[in-house]
Amino acid sequence: MATTAANLPGQSLKPFVLGSIGIHLAILVYLVGAGWWAYTHQGENWGGPGGSITVGVVGSVPAIPLPRPEVVSPNRVVDESKGLFKSEPKAPPKPPPDAVPIPKFEKNKPPKIISRPSKVLENPTPPPENAVPYGGGGTPSIPVTSFAMGAGNTQAGLGFTGVGGGDFGSRFSWYVQAVQRRISSNWLQSTVDPSVAYAPRVVVTFTILRDGTVTNVQITQRSNNYSVDSSAVRAVNASSPLDRLPAGYSGSSVNVEFYFDFHR
Amino acid sequence: MTQTWRFLSVAIVSAAWAALFSAQPAAAQDWFKTGTGLGVSKVRLAVPDTVAKSTFGPPLPKVFHDVLWADLEYSGVVDMVSPSFYPLSDPGQPGDLKAQDWSAAPANAYMVAYGSLSLDNSGMAFAGYLSQVNNPSAPIALQKIYRGQPTEQDARQLAHRFADDIIAVLSGGQPGIAQTQIAFVSGRTGNKEIWVMDYDGANQHQITHLNSISLTPRWSPDATRIAFTCYVPFRGVTSAQICIYSTASNRLIAFPRFRGTNSSPAWSPDGQQLAFMSSINGDPAIYEARADGTHLHRVTFGAGVATSPVWNPKTGKQIVFVSDRAGDPALYLSDADGSNAQKIDLPDMGYVIDPSWSPNGQLLAFSWRRPSGNYDIYVMDIVSHQLVELTKDEARNERPSWAPDGRHLVFESTRTGTRQIWTMLADGSEPRQLTFQGQSESPSWSQR
Repeated sequence: MATTAANLPGQSLKPFVLGSIGIHLAILVYLVGAGWWAYTHQGENWGGPGGSITVGVVGSVPAIPLPRPEVVSPNRVVDESKGLFKSEPKAPPKPPPDAVPIPKFEKNKPPKIISRPSKVLENPTPPPENAVPYGGGGTPSIPVTSFAMGAGNTQAGLGFTGVGGGDFGSRFSWYVQAVQRRISSNWLQSTVDPSVAYAPRVVVTFTILRDGTVTNVQITQRSNNYSVDSSAVRAVNASSPLDRLPAGYSGSSVNVEFYFDFHR
Repeated sequence: MTQTWRFLSVAIVSAAWAALFSAQPAAAQDWFKTGTGLGVSKVRLAVPDTVAKSTFGPPLPKVFHDVLWADLEYSGVVDMVSPSFYPLSDPGQPGDLKAQDWSAAPANAYMVAYGSLSLDNSGMAFAGYLSQVNNPSAPIALQKIYRGQPTEQDARQLAHRFADDIIAVLSGGQPGIAQTQIAFVSGRTGNKEIWVMDYDGANQHQITHLNSISLTPRWSPDATRIAFTCYVPFRGVTSAQICIYSTASNRLIAFPRFRGTNSSPAWSPDGQQLAFMSSINGDPAIYEARADGTHLHRVTFGAGVATSPVWNPKTGKQIVFVSDRAGDPALYLSDADGSNAQKIDLPDMGYVIDPSWSPNGQLLAFSWRRPSGNYDIYVMDIVSHQLVELTKDEARNERPSWAPDGRHLVFESTRTGTRQIWTMLADGSEPRQLTFQGQSESPSWSQR
């Protein structure tokens, strides 16, 4: 019979094993019980004696000027991405100009004063006896004629021309005045936009036929303001028919350039 | 308008002249160039006495000259040179005219209107001339012979025709008013009847003999008919109706009778339609019908009274009438069929009555009794609503009517104590009394 080696007669380990197991079990129970007890009574003793203070999360407190948190927003002006603009390559440096310094005036001679008497200014010949005194000649007979408005004096007032050998203006100045009077009186400045105080000149051309009908009305120079331009055209159209062309005039029609200066 | 012209200097004009030189097209056609703002002034016209080439019993040359002078002076286009500045000799024909005498100081005339009156087998003839004297080489502007009978009536008529031709030449084609007539209501016979006179107050004659009340005459646009309000009994009932009198045939033209009160007719500019106030359906409203009275239809539908219609003489597409739907009588502007009626607001309260539209369609003349208590004639620009007060009397001034040249107005006024017909220029100047007998009212100026 092979006997177990460690068993010594006379000494039994049984009470010691049982005692160890019992102490282990007791510790285990204590640990479980304490944990279960702590789990059900958690946080009770926090905050020290006398109870706890509730603490909440603070979002914003009025009357305390807190700095705003920095929010980074994408910057549209300057960002790291490459733009569509391509900067031009640097131009090569320009060559220096061929400049020559201006020479100084040195010892400039003053010009000679001619002291000879003038033949024209100092020896005037007396005017011939049949000369017309200045300002009294009346209407000159030149191809481009002018006529003057104003009674009794050919120098006063304004002048205008007739081209192409036409002397309509000088021969029939009363007709021109009548046309001007009629169109001016038909120009209704109250129909112009009230916000316009001044407009550049509008020039309207038209043709007067033999019987006085006004045709071919066109704007040759605009004032760039629609209401002024259209009031000018309306004034011309409202004046048709004008008086028939003078009997002493042999042409079949006359062209007129009429300008309107609007000034409120 | 005249202020702007006055302030533009010659410097601008000569700059325009210099620019013109460089900008002329090389056309073979005759040209002239002119423009606004050049100091448009009235023409200085001298009218010497009419030369008599025959011996006249009645002083017809003097009558002729006086009428011609008055016509030209009242036209508003001409600045008459005073006779004390004239040279001593009166020209009768172009050969007699010494231009330098007339164009030099003190006369300083721009044109001279002259002529001679003579008798021949067919009656009386006037040879008239209009010459420009500051440019003696210019051809004569107007030369014409006028014929008539050697009576004072015809002498006036020839003078009116010559004056009209002169005004047509000097105003660029606009006809003068010397041959127009004014229709009015006069009670001098005991009953209010329609009378007609020349525009200067001469030749007043009665045209209706209805022996009842006739009111509100209006000339048709072609001056052949006068529409007025007549009170003619029919089957024992006397009511206000529209009557039409033909001056061509000198009798009344048929126009239907309608129920109620029908008054204040107004002709459309084409002469085809009549607008008038009628109370056919109870409320006095504006109705329109054809000139023969057919196709009657109502045009205004507001509350209260609507009366005194007047058409836009330029377009014929709008009417202005008087209505008290807002309390006091006020002017309303609407389309010719009555749509889009809107009140014409004025800057003060009061009664506004008797509208009359100017021939160019831009101005409205009316009579306005403001809270100060006086009836005065006002002219208003339709577009900008700018107002001008023309009469400033303490008397009642009512019922204005425009002349066809748009430069004169005829109206009734009580400034002499009795109600009479007056004319004036459209700026309120030169009032002239035309009637002196009895009471005269409600004038209408013919458009031809």
